[in-house]
Amino acid sequence: MSETGTIALTGTRDETDVAAPWNVVVHNDPVNLMSYVTMVFQRVLGFPRDKATRHMLEVHHKGRSLVWSGHRERAEAIIEQLHGYLLLATLEQAEL
Amino acid sequence: MRFRRTSPHAWELDDMHPLFAGLLAELPEVAAAHDRASGRLYPDPVGKDGPSEMRADWGEHVRPELECLFASNREIVARDLAPLADGDCSGRLIIPADHLDAWLNVLNQARLITVEANGLDEADLDNREFPDLATHRGMALLRTHFYAHLQELMVEAVS
Repeated sequence: MSETGTIALTGTRDETDVAAPWNVVVHNDPVNLMSYVTMVFQRVLGFPRDKATRHMLEVHHKGRSLVWSGHRERAEAIIEQLHGYLLLATLEQAEL
Repeated sequence: MRFRRTSPHAWELDDMHPLFAGLLAELPEVAAAHDRASGRLYPDPVGKDGPSEMRADWGEHVRPELECLFASNREIVARDLAPLADGDCSGRLIIPADHLDAWLNVLNQARLITVEANGLDEADLDNREFPDLATHRGMALLRTHFYAHLQELMVEAVS
């Protein structure tokens, strides 16, 4: 069985944290199937199916979608998981 | 070709044409050719406003973990495919239900590598005409579409 698992995500920031949050951005590629990307968003990010589909379509039509924002360590863990599923995902720091 | 659940713990692929059985038997080998698409299999984790120092750490710590994950999934799939490689399954293959995630991963590795290695683009992948199998490119397209079809079936199975 694949070692790729699911992690719990809260998506919230500590109010005392004044640093700009880190964004996880997923980019379009012509190979990954739409159904597969939707499944990965459900598994890795815990999105319900309709939200996962919305983000998948945003990737497909706009070329990218911001799927998570928060602390850097958690963002890096999410990107590692997304790369494990062979999605194109990058870390970007948000503007304050 | 049919893909159906035969028990709570297993799925079965059967009625496979020998051409597709052959493409399936080659799956682990195709998916192992990482040097042909290493930039796509291990993409840059840093976006335009991301921390550039992250790249070195990523290469040192995360990439080896991903390599391990991908190799482990290929081993699982290769074991499942052993009857096909031995030529004794008559176009029929049993896949344990808890191996489907590994299959999805390996099919994706193989598709990404095939697309990169053969310079296929979005127009090629969207073209629904049956490819010219007399050409290397045509066979690559057939392989990519066949693996995508299997992926669709398996995504549906695990969803």
